[in-house]
This record gives sequence, C-alpha cells and structure tokens, in this order.
Amino acid sequence: MISPYISTSVIESTVGLVIVKAGEIRNAMTVSFYSEVAHHPTALWISIAKSSFTHELLRQQPEFTLAVLNQKQINIANTCGSVSGRDQDKCSFLDLYETPQGFLFLRGALASTSSRVRDSVDLGEHTLFIANILETELESRTSHLRQLLLSDLKT
Amino acid sequence: MRWPGRTIWDTRVQGVCGIIAASVDGEVHLFASATFAQVSLDPPKVIINPNRTYGIEEAVRLSGRFSINVLPKSARYLMINLMKMRRRQPEKDKVLGIRIIEDDLRIPFLEGNLRTVFCEVERVVESGDRRLYIARVLDFRINPLAGELPLLFSQVTVHSKYPTLRHVVRTSLVLTGALDGLKRVKQKLRPSPPANIPKATYEMAGCTEQEMTVVLKPGAVDRSRILRPPGSPRLITKTLGICVVGTGWGQTHARYLQMLGPNVRIFICGQNREKTDRIARVFGAAGVFYGLEQAVADSRVDALTLALPHHLHKSAVEMAAAHQKHALVEKPIATNLADADAMINTARQAGVILMIAEDMHFRPAIREAVDLIDRGAIGEPLYFLAHAGGVRRPSGWAADKERMGGGVLVDIGVHYVRALRLLMGEPDSVYASSAMQINTKMSGEDSVQLMFSSRFGWQGHMLASWSTQRGHLPDIVVAGERGTLHLWPGAHYLDYYPVEPRLATKLLSFVRPYSLQERLMRPTLQRIRKRCADKDATGYLGEMKEFVAAVAEGREPVTPAEDARRDLQIILRSYESLADGTTHSI
Repeated sequence: MISPYISTSVIESTVGLVIVKAGEIRNAMTVSFYSEVAHHPTALWISIAKSSFTHELLRQQPEFTLAVLNQKQINIANTCGSVSGRDQDKCSFLDLYETPQGFLFLRGALASTSSRVRDSVDLGEHTLFIANILETELESRTSHLRQLLLSDLKT
Repeated sequence: MRWPGRTIWDTRVQGVCGIIAASVDGEVHLFASATFAQVSLDPPKVIINPNRTYGIEEAVRLSGRFSINVLPKSARYLMINLMKMRRRQPEKDKVLGIRIIEDDLRIPFLEGNLRTVFCEVERVVESGDRRLYIARVLDFRINPLAGELPLLFSQVTVHSKYPTLRHVVRTSLVLTGALDGLKRVKQKLRPSPPANIPKATYEMAGCTEQEMTVVLKPGAVDRSRILRPPGSPRLITKTLGICVVGTGWGQTHARYLQMLGPNVRIFICGQNREKTDRIARVFGAAGVFYGLEQAVADSRVDALTLALPHHLHKSAVEMAAAHQKHALVEKPIATNLADADAMINTARQAGVILMIAEDMHFRPAIREAVDLIDRGAIGEPLYFLAHAGGVRRPSGWAADKERMGGGVLVDIGVHYVRALRLLMGEPDSVYASSAMQINTKMSGEDSVQLMFSSRFGWQGHMLASWSTQRGHLPDIVVAGERGTLHLWPGAHYLDYYPVEPRLATKLLSFVRPYSLQERLMRPTLQRIRKRCADKDATGYLGEMKEFVAAVAEGREPVTPAEDARRDLQIILRSYESLADGTTHSI
C-alpha cells in the first residue's frame, strides 16, 4: 500500500529520516515534511503526525536528528516509513553512530543534523516543530549522489 | 569520510527548487526558493520562508496569496539567473524573459513548470530573519513537463559552465577517495576553525532585527530607475529629406545621416554661404539653404536636425513646428524650463516629433551595463562616478553663459546626468561645488562636481571639467556590492571587475612569499572585458537612426523630449546648489 504521504503529496520533496531518542527508547521515521526556517537564529522545521510514535518521543525529549537520505537509500526510507516504532525497533537495522553530544547519526546519509526543538505549532493532525540546528556531519563518500525524492518511492 | 557541516546549506535540508510568485499593487515579485515544503496532508498545507529583505515577503504578507512553481531539472539556468539577480531588482520576470500568468485565482504563476501550487496564507510564525508562512493549498496543477525530475538545490549552487563534466570529475574523485585526500591537504595548508553553524550562517546570510532595519531602509525594491536604454534601432525603409541646420556640430549630424544610406536625402542649412556650400559638397547634399526660414519652407524637407547655440533652440523649434517639420535638437533641450515646456507644447500642438539628441541613451556600453546590473553582476549598485570633459577652451557663444545656459555642466554634464538616470535611476537631491576657475575667458563655470543622492540607497558623483586632463580613466564607473563596471568614452566594450576572485587571483593567493604574491597580483587579473555587439560606440548613429525611424513611422521616439526636460531640470537644480552652497531636492 502506498503511503498517503506519497500518494497525496501536492509538492515533490526530498526525503529524510528523523531519529529520536528518549531515554533508552529510540526511533527512526521517514519524513518529507521538513525544511529550513531561518538563517538567524539558524533553525529548521519538521512536521510530524500527532499519532506517530516519533511525536510521542519528541514530546518527551525535544531533540532529534534529521538525516537527509541519498537516492540509493530507498530501502531505509521504505522500511522506516511503513512500520511504527511502537511495533518494531527500526533503529536496530540502521547503521547509526552516536555523536559526542549523544545524537544518533546515520552512516551513508548525505548529511545528519542534530537539532533542539525551540517551538512547536499545532496544525491539526500534525505538529510543526521548529528546532535550532546544533551540528551537522556530511558524508563525503556519498556527496556525489542526489537527494532521495518522494517520487523515487513511488517506483 | 565524515566532515563537519559549517553552514545551514551543509545540512542539505534545502531540497527541490522552485520560484515563489506573488503580486501586490499590480507588481509581480519572484523569489528563488528551495525551502518550501508540504506541512500537513488533510487539508494540504505548505510552508514557505521568504527572505524578509526581499520584495516577495511584503507581497506575500500584504496579498496573502502566492504560488509555488516547482522547476524541472532543465530550468537550472533560470534558477541560477534568478538567484544571481540583485535582491532589489524590480520586474525580475521581464529581465529573465519569463511569462507570468494570472487566472481567476488572481495569483501570478509561471509557465512551463513541473507543478504549480496556489496557496492562501493561514498563519504566520515569526522566526528570526525569516517568517514562516503556513498556507492552505487552494489548487495545484501538474504541468505537461511532468515526468522530468525536479531541480535540486545542490544542482544550482555550483555555477559550472559544464555541469555534466563537473559531475563526472567529482564522482571519480569521490569514488577513488581523491576528494578526501585533497580535503585533508587543504585542511593541513589552511586549517579551518571549529565548525559553528549558527555563527558561520549568520555571517554569510543571517540578519538581526537591527540589521534588517538598516537593510530595508532604502526599500526592498529599488524603484528609482524609470528610463531604460532601448535596443538597437531598426532600419529605415522610407525615403526622407532631412535638413541639417548648423555648420559646426551639424557636420557630425550630416556624417551620421550619410551612414543611414540612400533613403535619407541630406540638406544643409547655414548662415555662412561659403562654409555651407563646402559642407554640402562634402556630404553630397540634395540642397542648400542659407537661413532657417528657407529650410522650413521647402517641401522636400521632412525634418530638421538643429545644431545651434542653445538659446536659439526654442525659436528654431517653433519655426519648424509652424511648417509641420519634425525636429531633432542638440542637447540640452533649452537653457531654462520655460523654454523647454514651450518647445514640447508647440511640437505636441503641431503634431510633429521633437527629439533631443542625447547619445548616452543609445550608447551600446550603457545598454550592456544596464543589462549586467539587472542580472545582478554587481549586486546592488551603490556608487556612480563620472569624470566628464577634458581640456577644452570654448569660444564664441559656447563661452557665453547666457547663450550657453551655463558652462561645462550644461554642455557636457547633461550627458552624464542621462547616464546616471539610465544606470542608477532618478536622483532625489544634488549638491554642487566647484574648484577655482581656471578659464577666465568663459563666463560659465569651467569645472564643477556634483553629489547626487537617492532615497533608494545609492549615490552619484560627477566631475565635469574643461580645465583638467582626464588621463586614462574610464568616464563612468558603477560600483556595486559584488562588482564594478568601467565604461570608456567611445569604446564598444566595458570592463567588469567581479568581487569574487577569478581563477588566476585564487591561484596566486597561494603563492609564497607574500612579497612575490604582491608583485604578481594585478588588478587586471580580475578584469572581464565585455564587448558590445553593436559597434556604434558613441551612440550617435543609433540616435540619428531612431530620429529618422520615428519620423518615417510617425511615432514618438524611444526617448521623448520630456526625458531631456528632466535632464535639464537636474542640471538647473545643480546650478542652484552651486549658487547657494546647499543641497537641493530634485
């Protein structure tokens, strides 16, 4: 079954992974609702469905990693976008590593960025999280690849 | 290998590229963006974060509506050109040559996109130097280009002329590990400071509230420029009789009329019979007149070009208009505004063309410079510098302040006033002062400097002098935040000096010791000479062609007499400032 995020999207977008950690619990979720907020203070936003496990964890621990996926990471996007973290530990099969600040970054992603939520906006079924950017790591091995697109997931 | 990200652009959250379009007060604003995205599914909503220092922000805020036009990969250069364009450029769609459409939703959008999303703002979230606009989707259209991949931000940040070749080279460097090696060497040669994304991003593109106030003080859009240089004039196909009145500068008129070919039958009119006859022979004139009365009365003459003392312009135009003859009058239009107005009214009432010979309007290098400014080559234009004149000892009526209407300023300075208006826009105030008079044989000023100011944030400086040697200096310099343009009198090229170091400059920056680097560095390493396709370097031919074409086609010339009246008004305000030593508003 095609995710409604793919079938009913009005704008083509790139795909990323939001990785959250609240205590010992961790989760990763495929997202396409994210972008930049401002250059000063430097911030980004993600929009997360209220019903998701990630939303629950973000409410507990308002910090997350946004890993921007490359075109070859379709499997990661499909897996993390089709199963709930409540049912399965999706992080267990991801190649993650922990940064000195305690954030989980994804190996092979174009870039992994850690952020701390500073504001949230209720949008009905979704919540908009506005977060200050803390640090980013780029993967040079995959820097020649383009971002994974929502339309790549349709095929 | 992993590297620390240094700016917000390293996060790669900027994804699909598009153009946001919105209009307010009938003016369309465009903004290149890669930071729009959907934010909820049902109902579908989107977010944009337009830069608050751009006109688009005000347009979205005031109109509450906008369109997101998702670009296909093939629109790479459109995106690059829009991103490079100066922030405050008005009418960006016209400069880019793209068609903007508005339908029943009353939201402007672009043709030929992958997808167009029409939106209405529901909520605004203040977020530092950007505002987040959360908008509901009114409608969206998938355009015929669907199937093509969208353009990504990473594909437009590198302005390579050969993107495919660059991609191949980069991919091989990545796969062989050479890129990591090169990065390590660079890091060893020039170690980077520890990564600090907020600081580095702020320094490159961020803005505090206080800075925002400063940036927006002269307006988000520069609306100071009204005049635009025309394209190359068209060919004349109708046969016309044109009489050159005046045997001094009139010879130049005759020379350029002669270049227009057999469709122009030249007549010469002068007071000195011997000189008039001689000039008529030189130019193979179809007829000779010894006084303006004879010329205007002759049915073979359709139009006149008047190269007369300035104070005679009004009476000559009135005489021509009374006989239904069109007139091209040498600049300045007159010596005072009352005469200028009378000339314009007389011509209008008689239904004849009145054009003032202002060659700056037709100078190809000016046209090229305006194009470069519009396309953002120098960023925001900040300073206009003009150095006009050169050593000259005027005599006769040209040395008489009354008949001339002043001195060097009204004679030569008026050209550079037009250049200022074409390149920068309309000045709002002027301050004039002058050094000691050297040439006491003329009653007008032999040198003067003017300082122009615009509420849109630019300044102009002009030095007009007949008592100093200009040397090998450009006559016009336009300095902007991202580059400088040099224009040379009578040259069919202009020099462009970008702020961004060119390859040779970059390579030389690695040369050690510094003393050797200093010796090797030359300002000319940064020079890019832009040659104009049109070889009419002075614009004289274009000016003459336009007048004759306007007469042949029975239409208003591309630069009507009112443009010259405004030039004169600026000159007269400058004289008032020169007299009382204060700044005058224009």
